[in-house]
Amino acid sequence: MKRKVKFDYARWIFVLPALVIVGALLIYPIFSSLYYSMTTKHLIRASYDFIGVDNYKAVLSDSNFYKAFFTSILWTVGSLFGQLFIGFTAALAINRVNMGKGVYRTLMIIPWAFPSIVIALSWKWILNGVSGFVPNLLVQLGICSELPQFLSDSGLVFLTLIFINVWFGAPMIMVNVLSALQTIPQEQYEAAQIDGASKVQQFWYITVPHIKIVVGLLVVLRTIWVFNNFDIIYLLTGGGPANATTTMPIYAYNMGWNTKLLGRSSAVTMLLLAFLLMICVVYFTIIGKWEKEDK
Amino acid sequence: MTTRRDKIGNVFCHIYLIILAVVAFFPLVWVLLCSVKTSGDLTANPTRILPKHFTLENFLHVINELGFAENIANSLLIAISTTCIAIVISSMAAYGIVRFFPKLGSIMSKVLVTTYMFPPILLAIPYSMVMAKAGLVNTRIGLVIVYLSFSVPYAVWMLVGFFKTVPIGIEEAARVDGANKLQTFVQIVLPLVMPGIVATAIYTFINAWNEFLYSLILINSTEKMTVSVALKSLQGAEILNWGDMMAASALVVVPSVVFFMFIQNKIAGGMTEGAVK
Repeated sequence: MKRKVKFDYARWIFVLPALVIVGALLIYPIFSSLYYSMTTKHLIRASYDFIGVDNYKAVLSDSNFYKAFFTSILWTVGSLFGQLFIGFTAALAINRVNMGKGVYRTLMIIPWAFPSIVIALSWKWILNGVSGFVPNLLVQLGICSELPQFLSDSGLVFLTLIFINVWFGAPMIMVNVLSALQTIPQEQYEAAQIDGASKVQQFWYITVPHIKIVVGLLVVLRTIWVFNNFDIIYLLTGGGPANATTTMPIYAYNMGWNTKLLGRSSAVTMLLLAFLLMICVVYFTIIGKWEKEDK
Repeated sequence: MTTRRDKIGNVFCHIYLIILAVVAFFPLVWVLLCSVKTSGDLTANPTRILPKHFTLENFLHVINELGFAENIANSLLIAISTTCIAIVISSMAAYGIVRFFPKLGSIMSKVLVTTYMFPPILLAIPYSMVMAKAGLVNTRIGLVIVYLSFSVPYAVWMLVGFFKTVPIGIEEAARVDGANKLQTFVQIVLPLVMPGIVATAIYTFINAWNEFLYSLILINSTEKMTVSVALKSLQGAEILNWGDMMAASALVVVPSVVFFMFIQNKIAGGMTEGAVK
Protein backbone atom coordinates (compact mmCIF):
# COMPACT_ATOMS: atom_id res chain seq x y z
CA MET A 1 0.00 0.00 0.00
CA LYS A 2 1.28 3.43 -0.90
CA ARG A 3 1.61 5.94 1.94
CA LYS A 4 0.48 9.49 1.50
CA VAL A 5 3.38 11.89 1.43
CA LYS A 6 1.40 14.50 3.34
CA PHE A 7 1.77 14.20 7.13
CA ASP A 8 -1.20 12.24 8.31
CA TYR A 9 -2.35 14.18 11.32
CA ALA A 10 -5.84 12.64 11.59
CA ARG A 11 -4.53 9.41 13.07
CA TRP A 12 -2.74 11.32 15.79
CA ILE A 13 -5.95 13.04 16.81
CA PHE A 14 -7.34 9.65 17.77
CA VAL A 15 -4.59 8.80 20.23
CA LEU A 16 -3.62 12.26 21.41
CA PRO A 17 -6.15 12.74 24.24
CA ALA A 18 -5.23 9.40 25.77
CA LEU A 19 -1.53 10.18 25.44
CA VAL A 20 -2.07 13.50 27.18
CA ILE A 21 -3.93 11.79 30.03
CA VAL A 22 -1.25 9.15 30.43
CA GLY A 23 1.48 11.77 30.29
CA ALA A 24 -0.14 14.22 32.67
CA LEU A 25 -1.64 11.77 35.13
CA LEU A 26 0.90 8.98 35.14
CA ILE A 27 4.28 9.96 33.74
CA TYR A 28 4.52 13.43 35.24
CA PRO A 29 3.55 12.34 38.79
CA ILE A 30 6.29 9.71 38.78
CA PHE A 31 8.93 12.34 38.10
CA SER A 32 7.41 14.75 40.51
CA SER A 33 7.40 12.05 43.19
CA LEU A 34 11.02 11.32 42.42
CA TYR A 35 11.78 15.00 42.95
CA TYR A 36 9.77 15.31 46.16
CA SER A 37 11.42 12.17 47.51
CA MET A 38 14.61 14.24 47.65
CA THR A 39 13.05 17.14 49.55
CA THR A 40 11.70 17.85 53.02
CA LYS A 41 8.19 18.36 51.62
CA HIS A 42 5.70 18.48 54.47
CA LEU A 43 1.94 17.88 54.37
CA ILE A 44 1.11 21.26 55.91
CA ARG A 45 4.21 23.49 55.93
CA ALA A 46 4.65 25.33 52.64
CA SER A 47 8.44 25.63 52.39
CA TYR A 48 10.76 22.73 51.78
CA ASP A 49 14.43 22.10 50.95
CA PHE A 50 16.29 19.82 48.63
CA ILE A 51 18.15 17.24 50.67
CA GLY A 52 19.40 14.70 48.11
CA VAL A 53 19.15 11.09 49.19
CA ASP A 54 18.67 11.75 52.90
CA ASN A 55 15.06 10.53 52.84
CA TYR A 56 16.16 7.26 51.30
CA LYS A 57 18.86 6.90 53.95
CA ALA A 58 16.34 7.58 56.70
CA VAL A 59 13.85 5.11 55.29
CA LEU A 60 16.42 2.42 54.68
CA SER A 61 17.66 2.66 58.25
CA ASP A 62 14.17 2.41 59.75
CA SER A 63 13.48 -1.07 61.09
CA ASN A 64 9.74 -0.52 60.59
CA PHE A 65 10.35 -0.14 56.87
CA TYR A 66 11.86 -3.62 56.67
CA LYS A 67 9.08 -4.99 58.79
CA ALA A 68 6.51 -3.46 56.43
CA PHE A 69 8.45 -4.81 53.45
CA PHE A 70 8.38 -8.37 54.77
CA THR A 71 4.73 -8.04 55.75
CA SER A 72 4.06 -6.95 52.16
CA ILE A 73 5.91 -9.95 50.78
CA LEU A 74 4.00 -12.34 53.03
CA TRP A 75 0.72 -10.64 52.19
CA THR A 76 1.43 -10.83 48.45
CA VAL A 77 2.73 -14.38 48.35
CA GLY A 78 0.02 -15.68 50.68
CA SER A 79 -2.82 -13.95 48.86
CA LEU A 80 -1.51 -14.84 45.44
CA PHE A 81 -1.04 -18.48 46.29
CA GLY A 82 -4.54 -18.68 47.75
CA GLN A 83 -6.17 -16.80 44.88
CA LEU A 84 -4.43 -18.91 42.26
CA PHE A 85 -5.22 -22.17 44.01
CA ILE A 86 -8.90 -21.40 44.56
CA GLY A 87 -9.38 -19.62 41.23
CA PHE A 88 -7.67 -22.36 39.28
CA THR A 89 -9.37 -25.31 40.96
CA ALA A 90 -12.75 -23.58 40.73
CA ALA A 91 -12.25 -23.01 37.00
CA LEU A 92 -11.26 -26.64 36.44
CA ALA A 93 -14.27 -27.83 38.45
CA ILE A 94 -16.72 -25.58 36.57
CA ASN A 95 -15.21 -26.68 33.28
CA ARG A 96 -15.74 -30.29 34.24
CA VAL A 97 -19.29 -30.35 35.57
CA ASN A 98 -22.23 -30.49 33.17
CA MET A 99 -24.92 -28.91 35.29
CA GLY A 100 -25.11 -25.43 36.78
CA LYS A 101 -21.96 -23.99 35.18
CA GLY A 102 -23.56 -20.59 34.76
CA VAL A 103 -25.06 -20.51 38.24
CA TYR A 104 -21.77 -21.36 39.94
CA ARG A 105 -19.92 -18.82 37.85
CA THR A 106 -22.41 -16.07 38.54
CA LEU A 107 -22.47 -16.69 42.29
CA MET A 108 -18.70 -16.94 42.54
CA ILE A 109 -18.05 -13.78 40.60
CA ILE A 110 -19.91 -11.59 43.12
CA PRO A 111 -16.94 -10.69 45.35
CA TRP A 112 -15.21 -9.12 42.35
CA ALA A 113 -17.86 -6.38 42.26
CA PHE A 114 -17.47 -5.48 45.94
CA PRO A 115 -16.14 -2.00 46.75
CA SER A 116 -13.29 -2.27 49.24
CA ILE A 117 -15.22 -0.41 51.92
CA VAL A 118 -18.05 -2.93 51.70
CA ILE A 119 -15.56 -5.81 51.73
CA ALA A 120 -14.25 -4.33 54.95
CA LEU A 121 -17.59 -3.59 56.61
CA SER A 122 -19.29 -6.84 55.66
CA TRP A 123 -16.39 -8.99 56.84
CA LYS A 124 -15.89 -6.91 59.96
CA TRP A 125 -19.50 -7.56 60.82
CA ILE A 126 -19.44 -11.25 59.89
CA LEU A 127 -16.27 -11.75 61.96
CA ASN A 128 -17.29 -9.35 64.76
CA GLY A 129 -15.95 -10.61 68.07
CA VAL A 130 -19.25 -10.15 69.93
CA SER A 131 -22.22 -10.66 67.62
CA GLY A 132 -20.46 -11.83 64.47
CA PHE A 133 -21.94 -14.73 62.53
CA VAL A 134 -18.77 -16.80 62.14
CA PRO A 135 -17.38 -16.54 65.70
CA ASN A 136 -20.77 -17.44 67.17
CA LEU A 137 -21.17 -20.29 64.73
CA LEU A 138 -17.76 -21.69 65.66
CA VAL A 139 -18.65 -21.58 69.35
CA GLN A 140 -22.03 -23.20 68.76
CA LEU A 141 -20.45 -25.99 66.75
CA GLY A 142 -18.03 -26.53 69.61
CA ILE A 143 -14.97 -25.78 67.45
CA CYS A 144 -13.95 -22.85 69.64
CA SER A 145 -14.53 -22.54 73.37
CA GLU A 146 -14.72 -18.75 73.29
CA LEU A 147 -15.45 -16.20 70.57
CA PRO A 148 -12.39 -15.92 68.28
CA GLN A 149 -11.23 -12.35 67.60
CA PHE A 150 -10.33 -12.69 63.94
CA LEU A 151 -9.38 -9.08 63.34
CA SER A 152 -7.71 -8.13 66.60
CA ASP A 153 -5.93 -11.30 67.69
CA SER A 154 -2.38 -10.83 66.44
CA GLY A 155 -2.08 -14.55 65.76
CA LEU A 156 -5.19 -14.67 63.57
CA VAL A 157 -5.39 -11.28 61.92
CA PHE A 158 -2.91 -11.91 59.12
CA LEU A 159 -4.54 -15.16 58.06
CA THR A 160 -7.94 -13.48 58.21
CA LEU A 161 -6.76 -10.71 55.88
CA ILE A 162 -5.33 -13.21 53.45
CA PHE A 163 -8.55 -15.20 53.52
CA ILE A 164 -10.55 -12.06 52.71
CA ASN A 165 -8.17 -11.12 49.91
CA VAL A 166 -8.45 -14.62 48.46
CA TRP A 167 -12.23 -14.35 48.69
CA PHE A 168 -12.05 -11.09 46.76
CA GLY A 169 -9.37 -11.99 44.19
CA ALA A 170 -10.04 -15.63 43.32
CA PRO A 171 -13.07 -14.85 41.10
CA MET A 172 -10.92 -12.84 38.70
CA ILE A 173 -8.48 -15.72 38.33
CA MET A 174 -11.36 -18.17 38.00
CA VAL A 175 -13.10 -16.24 35.21
CA ASN A 176 -9.93 -15.70 33.20
CA VAL A 177 -8.68 -19.26 33.57
CA LEU A 178 -12.14 -20.55 32.67
CA SER A 179 -12.24 -18.52 29.46
CA ALA A 180 -8.74 -19.72 28.60
CA LEU A 181 -9.77 -23.33 29.25
CA GLN A 182 -12.69 -22.96 26.88
CA THR A 183 -10.38 -22.04 24.00
CA ILE A 184 -8.66 -25.42 24.14
CA PRO A 185 -9.87 -27.56 21.22
CA GLN A 186 -11.72 -30.63 22.54
CA GLU A 187 -10.26 -32.83 19.78
CA GLN A 188 -6.89 -32.67 21.48
CA TYR A 189 -8.31 -34.35 24.56
CA GLU A 190 -10.13 -36.93 22.46
CA ALA A 191 -6.97 -37.71 20.53
CA ALA A 192 -5.02 -38.01 23.76
CA GLN A 193 -7.64 -40.34 25.20
CA ILE A 194 -7.40 -42.62 22.16
CA ASP A 195 -3.65 -42.68 22.59
CA GLY A 196 -4.23 -43.82 26.16
CA ALA A 197 -3.08 -40.69 27.98
CA SER A 198 -4.19 -40.48 31.60
CA LYS A 199 -6.14 -37.52 33.01
CA VAL A 200 -3.00 -36.25 34.72
CA GLN A 201 -1.02 -36.49 31.49
CA GLN A 202 -3.78 -34.70 29.59
CA PHE A 203 -3.66 -31.95 32.18
CA TRP A 204 0.12 -31.49 31.96
CA TYR A 205 0.53 -31.85 28.22
CA ILE A 206 -2.64 -30.22 26.89
CA THR A 207 -4.23 -27.98 29.51
CA VAL A 208 -1.13 -26.44 31.05
CA PRO A 209 0.65 -25.41 27.82
CA HIS A 210 -2.55 -23.82 26.52
CA ILE A 211 -3.24 -21.65 29.50
CA LYS A 212 0.16 -20.94 30.95
CA ILE A 213 0.62 -17.56 29.26
CA VAL A 214 -2.77 -16.33 30.45
CA VAL A 215 -2.02 -17.59 33.93
CA GLY A 216 1.42 -15.99 33.82
CA LEU A 217 -0.10 -12.65 32.93
CA LEU A 218 -2.68 -13.02 35.66
CA VAL A 219 0.09 -13.66 38.14
CA VAL A 220 1.83 -10.47 37.03
CA LEU A 221 -1.33 -8.38 37.28
CA ARG A 222 -2.36 -9.85 40.61
CA THR A 223 1.12 -9.51 42.11
CA ILE A 224 1.15 -5.83 41.25
CA TRP A 225 -2.39 -5.32 42.45
CA VAL A 226 -2.00 -7.14 45.76
CA PHE A 227 1.36 -5.59 46.48
CA ASN A 228 -0.02 -2.10 45.86
CA ASN A 229 -3.30 -2.68 47.60
CA PHE A 230 -3.99 -0.17 50.30
CA ASP A 231 -7.75 -0.22 50.84
CA ILE A 232 -8.42 -3.70 52.13
CA ILE A 233 -5.89 -3.69 54.95
CA TYR A 234 -6.35 -0.01 55.78
CA LEU A 235 -10.10 -0.44 56.11
CA LEU A 236 -10.04 -3.76 57.94
CA THR A 237 -7.26 -3.28 60.46
CA GLY A 238 -5.60 0.07 59.70
CA GLY A 239 -2.28 -1.82 59.81
CA GLY A 240 -2.78 -3.01 63.37
CA PRO A 241 -2.84 -4.55 65.87
CA ALA A 242 0.59 -3.15 66.77
CA ASN A 243 1.72 -2.82 63.14
CA ALA A 244 1.21 -6.57 62.59
CA THR A 245 -0.50 -5.90 59.25
CA THR A 246 1.32 -2.75 58.12
CA THR A 247 2.31 -3.33 54.51
CA MET A 248 4.38 -0.92 52.41
CA PRO A 249 1.44 1.15 51.09
CA ILE A 250 0.08 1.56 54.64
CA TYR A 251 3.54 2.47 55.89
CA ALA A 252 3.87 5.07 53.12
CA TYR A 253 0.41 6.46 53.82
CA ASN A 254 1.12 6.83 57.55
CA MET A 255 4.44 8.47 56.77
CA GLY A 256 2.72 10.99 54.52
CA TRP A 257 -0.61 11.65 56.18
CA ASN A 258 0.02 10.92 59.86
CA THR A 259 3.67 11.81 60.35
CA LYS A 260 3.09 14.41 57.62
CA LEU A 261 6.49 13.80 55.97
CA LEU A 262 5.38 13.74 52.34
CA GLY A 263 8.94 13.85 51.05
CA ARG A 264 9.94 10.77 52.99
CA SER A 265 6.68 9.08 52.05
CA SER A 266 7.56 9.69 48.38
CA ALA A 267 10.88 7.98 48.96
CA VAL A 268 9.02 4.94 50.31
CA THR A 269 6.71 4.83 47.30
CA MET A 270 9.64 5.15 44.89
CA LEU A 271 11.29 2.17 46.56
CA LEU A 272 7.99 0.34 46.25
CA LEU A 273 7.87 1.07 42.52
CA ALA A 274 11.51 0.06 42.04
CA PHE A 275 10.81 -3.27 43.70
CA LEU A 276 7.73 -3.89 41.54
CA LEU A 277 9.70 -3.05 38.41
CA MET A 278 12.30 -5.63 39.33
CA ILE A 279 9.65 -8.29 39.91
CA CYS A 280 7.95 -7.47 36.62
CA VAL A 281 11.17 -7.67 34.63
CA VAL A 282 11.66 -11.18 35.98
CA TYR A 283 8.07 -12.16 35.21
CA PHE A 284 8.07 -10.74 31.72
CA THR A 285 11.35 -12.47 30.92
CA ILE A 286 9.76 -15.78 31.86
CA ILE A 287 6.56 -15.11 29.92
CA GLY A 288 8.57 -13.90 26.93
CA LYS A 289 10.43 -17.23 26.93
CA TRP A 290 7.12 -19.13 26.98
CA GLU A 291 5.80 -17.09 24.08
CA LYS A 292 8.92 -17.91 22.04
CA GLU A 293 8.54 -21.62 22.82
CA ASP A 294 4.96 -21.41 21.55
CA LYS A 295 6.02 -20.11 18.17
CA MET B 1 -19.13 -43.49 28.52
CA THR B 2 -18.94 -42.15 32.00
CA THR B 3 -17.13 -44.40 34.36
CA ARG B 4 -17.85 -44.73 38.05
CA ARG B 5 -14.71 -42.75 38.79
CA ASP B 6 -15.90 -39.88 36.61
CA LYS B 7 -19.19 -39.80 38.46
CA ILE B 8 -17.51 -39.64 41.86
CA GLY B 9 -15.24 -36.91 40.51
CA ASN B 10 -18.26 -34.95 39.38
CA VAL B 11 -19.91 -35.22 42.76
CA PHE B 12 -16.75 -33.91 44.42
CA CYS B 13 -16.62 -31.03 41.93
CA HIS B 14 -20.19 -30.09 42.78
CA ILE B 15 -19.55 -30.24 46.51
CA TYR B 16 -16.44 -28.09 46.12
CA LEU B 17 -18.26 -25.58 43.92
CA ILE B 18 -21.23 -25.36 46.27
CA ILE B 19 -18.91 -24.60 49.20
CA LEU B 20 -17.09 -21.94 47.19
CA ALA B 21 -20.31 -20.42 45.90
CA VAL B 22 -21.76 -20.19 49.41
CA VAL B 23 -18.63 -18.51 50.76
CA ALA B 24 -18.52 -16.12 47.79
CA PHE B 25 -22.17 -15.28 48.03
CA PHE B 26 -22.59 -15.15 51.80
CA PRO B 27 -21.37 -11.60 52.59
CA LEU B 28 -23.82 -10.09 50.12
CA VAL B 29 -26.71 -12.07 51.59
CA TRP B 30 -25.62 -11.19 55.10
CA VAL B 31 -25.39 -7.48 54.32
CA LEU B 32 -28.88 -7.54 52.82
CA LEU B 33 -30.38 -9.55 55.68
CA CYS B 34 -28.78 -7.40 58.33
CA SER B 35 -29.78 -4.18 56.62
CA VAL B 36 -33.44 -4.92 57.43
CA LYS B 37 -32.89 -6.12 61.00
CA THR B 38 -33.64 -4.15 64.13
CA SER B 39 -30.76 -3.50 66.51
CA GLY B 40 -32.23 -6.16 68.81
CA ASP B 41 -32.11 -8.74 66.03
CA LEU B 42 -28.58 -7.76 65.07
CA THR B 43 -27.13 -8.44 68.51
CA ALA B 44 -29.39 -11.38 69.38
CA ASN B 45 -27.66 -14.32 70.97
CA PRO B 46 -27.66 -16.92 69.49
CA THR B 47 -27.24 -15.24 66.11
CA ARG B 48 -30.51 -14.79 64.30
CA ILE B 49 -30.23 -15.52 60.59
CA LEU B 50 -33.52 -14.11 59.37
CA PRO B 51 -34.83 -10.82 60.76
CA LYS B 52 -37.57 -11.33 63.37
CA HIS B 53 -38.92 -7.84 62.82
CA PHE B 54 -38.48 -6.67 59.24
CA THR B 55 -37.65 -2.95 59.24
CA LEU B 56 -36.60 -0.27 56.78
CA GLU B 57 -35.64 1.97 59.68
CA ASN B 58 -31.90 1.63 58.92
CA PHE B 59 -32.33 2.76 55.33
CA LEU B 60 -34.50 5.70 56.32
CA HIS B 61 -32.04 6.72 59.01
CA VAL B 62 -29.06 6.51 56.67
CA ILE B 63 -30.76 8.51 53.94
CA ASN B 64 -32.66 11.09 55.98
CA GLU B 65 -30.47 11.65 59.02
CA LEU B 66 -26.99 10.88 57.78
CA GLY B 67 -27.33 12.52 54.36
CA PHE B 68 -26.30 9.41 52.48
CA ALA B 69 -28.46 10.39 49.51
CA GLU B 70 -26.10 13.31 48.96
CA ASN B 71 -23.11 10.97 48.97
CA ILE B 72 -24.83 8.71 46.48
CA ALA B 73 -25.51 11.70 44.24
CA ASN B 74 -21.83 12.73 44.47
CA SER B 75 -20.61 9.27 43.62
CA LEU B 76 -23.06 8.96 40.74
CA LEU B 77 -22.03 12.31 39.32
CA ILE B 78 -18.33 11.53 39.64
CA ALA B 79 -18.58 7.98 38.33
CA ILE B 80 -20.78 8.93 35.37
CA SER B 81 -18.57 11.87 34.38
CA THR B 82 -15.46 9.72 34.66
CA THR B 83 -17.07 7.02 32.56
CA CYS B 84 -18.24 9.34 29.79
CA ILE B 85 -14.92 11.14 29.45
CA ALA B 86 -12.89 7.97 29.74
CA ILE B 87 -14.96 6.09 27.18
CA VAL B 88 -14.78 8.82 24.53
CA ILE B 89 -11.02 9.21 24.94
CA SER B 90 -10.36 5.49 25.20
CA SER B 91 -12.48 4.40 22.24
CA MET B 92 -10.66 6.87 20.01
CA ALA B 93 -7.30 5.76 21.34
CA ALA B 94 -8.08 2.06 21.09
CA TYR B 95 -9.28 2.46 17.51
CA GLY B 96 -6.26 4.59 16.67
CA ILE B 97 -3.89 2.02 18.10
CA VAL B 98 -5.53 -0.87 16.28
CA ARG B 99 -5.92 0.85 12.90
CA PHE B 100 -3.23 3.47 12.48
CA PHE B 101 -0.35 2.39 14.67
CA PRO B 102 0.03 -1.33 14.16
CA LYS B 103 3.70 -1.28 15.16
CA LEU B 104 3.66 1.56 17.65
CA GLY B 105 0.47 0.01 19.01
CA SER B 106 2.20 -2.83 20.80
CA ILE B 107 4.53 -0.33 22.46
CA MET B 108 1.58 1.82 23.48
CA SER B 109 -0.17 -1.21 24.94
CA LYS B 110 2.97 -2.03 26.92
CA VAL B 111 3.13 1.51 28.27
CA LEU B 112 -0.46 1.13 29.38
CA VAL B 113 0.32 -2.14 31.14
CA THR B 114 3.26 -0.48 32.83
CA THR B 115 1.04 2.23 34.26
CA TYR B 116 -0.87 -0.50 36.04
CA MET B 117 2.30 -1.00 38.06
CA PHE B 118 2.33 2.49 39.55
CA PRO B 119 1.27 2.25 43.17
CA PRO B 120 -1.86 4.38 43.74
CA ILE B 121 -0.27 5.55 46.97
CA LEU B 122 2.68 6.88 44.94
CA LEU B 123 0.38 8.83 42.64
CA ALA B 124 -1.69 10.09 45.57
CA ILE B 125 1.13 12.35 46.78
CA PRO B 126 1.68 14.34 43.56
CA TYR B 127 -2.07 14.41 42.92
CA SER B 128 -2.81 15.99 46.27
CA MET B 129 -0.13 18.61 45.65
CA VAL B 130 -1.11 19.41 42.07
CA MET B 131 -4.77 19.61 43.03
CA ALA B 132 -3.90 21.97 45.87
CA LYS B 133 -2.00 24.21 43.45
CA ALA B 134 -4.81 24.14 40.91
CA GLY B 135 -7.40 24.88 43.59
CA LEU B 136 -9.12 21.57 42.92
CA VAL B 137 -8.75 19.98 46.33
CA ASN B 138 -12.11 19.05 47.74
CA THR B 139 -13.86 19.38 44.38
CA ARG B 140 -15.65 16.74 42.40
CA ILE B 141 -13.95 17.87 39.19
CA GLY B 142 -10.57 17.21 40.77
CA LEU B 143 -11.62 13.70 41.64
CA VAL B 144 -12.92 13.03 38.11
CA ILE B 145 -9.57 14.11 36.66
CA VAL B 146 -7.70 11.83 39.02
CA TYR B 147 -10.04 8.93 38.25
CA LEU B 148 -9.13 9.21 34.57
CA SER B 149 -5.64 8.12 35.54
CA PHE B 150 -6.76 4.58 36.15
CA SER B 151 -9.89 4.50 33.95
CA VAL B 152 -8.33 5.51 30.65
CA PRO B 153 -5.42 3.04 30.49
CA TYR B 154 -7.65 0.21 31.59
CA ALA B 155 -10.46 1.08 29.19
CA VAL B 156 -8.03 1.44 26.27
CA TRP B 157 -6.60 -1.94 27.07
CA MET B 158 -9.99 -3.61 27.14
CA LEU B 159 -11.25 -1.78 24.07
CA VAL B 160 -8.23 -2.68 21.94
CA GLY B 161 -9.41 -6.28 22.23
CA PHE B 162 -12.88 -5.35 20.99
CA PHE B 163 -11.71 -3.13 18.12
CA LYS B 164 -9.45 -5.88 16.84
CA THR B 165 -12.52 -7.90 15.98
CA VAL B 166 -13.71 -5.36 13.39
CA PRO B 167 -12.74 -6.54 9.90
CA ILE B 168 -10.82 -3.89 7.98
CA GLY B 169 -12.71 -4.70 4.78
CA ILE B 170 -15.85 -2.98 6.01
CA GLU B 171 -13.91 0.19 6.67
CA GLU B 172 -12.18 0.16 3.33
CA ALA B 173 -15.54 -0.05 1.63
CA ALA B 174 -16.69 3.04 3.53
CA ARG B 175 -13.49 4.86 2.64
CA VAL B 176 -13.99 4.09 -1.03
CA ASP B 177 -17.43 5.66 -0.71
CA GLY B 178 -15.69 8.85 0.39
CA ALA B 179 -16.04 8.74 4.17
CA ASN B 180 -13.14 10.27 6.09
CA LYS B 181 -11.45 8.69 9.09
CA LEU B 182 -13.76 10.25 11.65
CA GLN B 183 -16.91 9.36 9.72
CA THR B 184 -15.73 5.78 9.28
CA PHE B 185 -15.03 5.59 12.98
CA VAL B 186 -18.33 7.04 14.16
CA GLN B 187 -20.70 5.58 11.57
CA ILE B 188 -19.16 2.21 10.75
CA VAL B 189 -16.86 1.04 13.53
CA LEU B 190 -18.53 2.30 16.69
CA PRO B 191 -21.87 0.57 16.13
CA LEU B 192 -20.03 -2.71 15.55
CA VAL B 193 -18.14 -2.57 18.84
CA MET B 194 -20.97 -1.04 20.86
CA PRO B 195 -21.49 -4.13 23.06
CA GLY B 196 -17.80 -4.03 23.97
CA ILE B 197 -17.94 -0.32 24.65
CA VAL B 198 -20.98 -0.73 26.89
CA ALA B 199 -19.23 -3.47 28.86
CA THR B 200 -16.11 -1.34 29.23
CA ALA B 201 -18.21 1.64 30.28
CA ILE B 202 -19.97 -0.37 32.96
CA TYR B 203 -16.66 -1.69 34.25
CA THR B 204 -15.24 1.83 34.34
CA PHE B 205 -18.32 3.03 36.19
CA ILE B 206 -18.04 0.26 38.80
CA ASN B 207 -14.38 1.02 39.41
CA ALA B 208 -15.02 4.73 39.84
CA TRP B 209 -18.03 4.06 42.07
CA ASN B 210 -15.97 1.69 44.23
CA GLU B 211 -12.83 3.82 44.47
CA PHE B 212 -11.59 4.70 47.95
CA LEU B 213 -8.00 5.99 48.34
CA TYR B 214 -8.07 9.10 46.14
CA SER B 215 -11.46 10.03 47.44
CA LEU B 216 -10.16 9.73 51.00
CA ILE B 217 -7.18 11.96 50.28
CA LEU B 218 -8.76 14.59 48.03
CA ILE B 219 -12.21 15.15 49.53
CA ASN B 220 -12.60 16.37 53.08
CA SER B 221 -16.01 17.99 53.43
CA THR B 222 -18.99 15.82 54.29
CA GLU B 223 -21.26 17.20 51.59
CA LYS B 224 -18.80 16.31 48.82
CA MET B 225 -17.85 12.85 50.07
CA THR B 226 -18.29 9.83 47.87
CA VAL B 227 -20.09 6.76 49.15
CA SER B 228 -16.92 4.85 50.07
CA VAL B 229 -15.55 7.60 52.26
CA ALA B 230 -18.95 8.38 53.77
CA LEU B 231 -19.27 4.71 54.67
CA LYS B 232 -15.82 4.79 56.21
CA SER B 233 -16.83 7.77 58.32
CA LEU B 234 -19.83 5.83 59.69
CA GLN B 235 -17.29 3.39 61.02
CA GLY B 236 -15.59 6.15 62.95
CA ALA B 237 -18.73 7.04 64.91
CA GLU B 238 -18.71 6.86 68.70
CA ILE B 239 -21.29 4.11 68.87
CA LEU B 240 -21.11 1.66 66.01
CA ASN B 241 -24.50 1.23 64.46
CA TRP B 242 -24.20 -1.92 62.41
CA GLY B 243 -27.75 -1.63 61.11
CA ASP B 244 -26.90 1.72 59.52
CA MET B 245 -23.65 0.42 58.17
CA MET B 246 -25.29 -2.62 56.59
CA ALA B 247 -28.06 -0.52 55.04
CA ALA B 248 -25.52 1.94 53.60
CA SER B 249 -23.34 -0.96 52.42
CA ALA B 250 -26.34 -2.49 50.68
CA LEU B 251 -27.00 0.78 48.86
CA VAL B 252 -23.40 0.86 47.65
CA VAL B 253 -22.81 -2.76 46.79
CA VAL B 254 -26.09 -3.70 45.10
CA PRO B 255 -25.63 -1.43 42.05
CA SER B 256 -22.07 -2.71 41.60
CA VAL B 257 -23.13 -6.34 41.75
CA VAL B 258 -26.13 -5.85 39.47
CA PHE B 259 -24.06 -4.05 36.83
CA PHE B 260 -21.37 -6.62 37.11
CA MET B 261 -23.84 -9.41 36.36
CA PHE B 262 -24.66 -7.76 33.04
CA ILE B 263 -21.08 -7.68 31.84
CA GLN B 264 -19.69 -10.84 33.38
CA ASN B 265 -19.41 -12.61 30.04
CA LYS B 266 -17.73 -9.71 28.32
CA ILE B 267 -15.28 -9.07 31.11
CA ALA B 268 -13.86 -12.58 30.97
CA GLY B 269 -10.56 -12.44 29.25
CA GLY B 270 -10.88 -8.72 28.60
CA MET B 271 -7.91 -8.15 30.83
CA THR B 272 -5.52 -10.70 29.44
CA GLU B 273 -6.67 -10.77 25.83
CA GLY B 274 -5.41 -7.29 25.02
CA ALA B 275 -1.92 -8.35 25.92
CA VAL B 276 -1.93 -11.92 24.66
CA LYS B 277 -3.08 -11.37 21.13
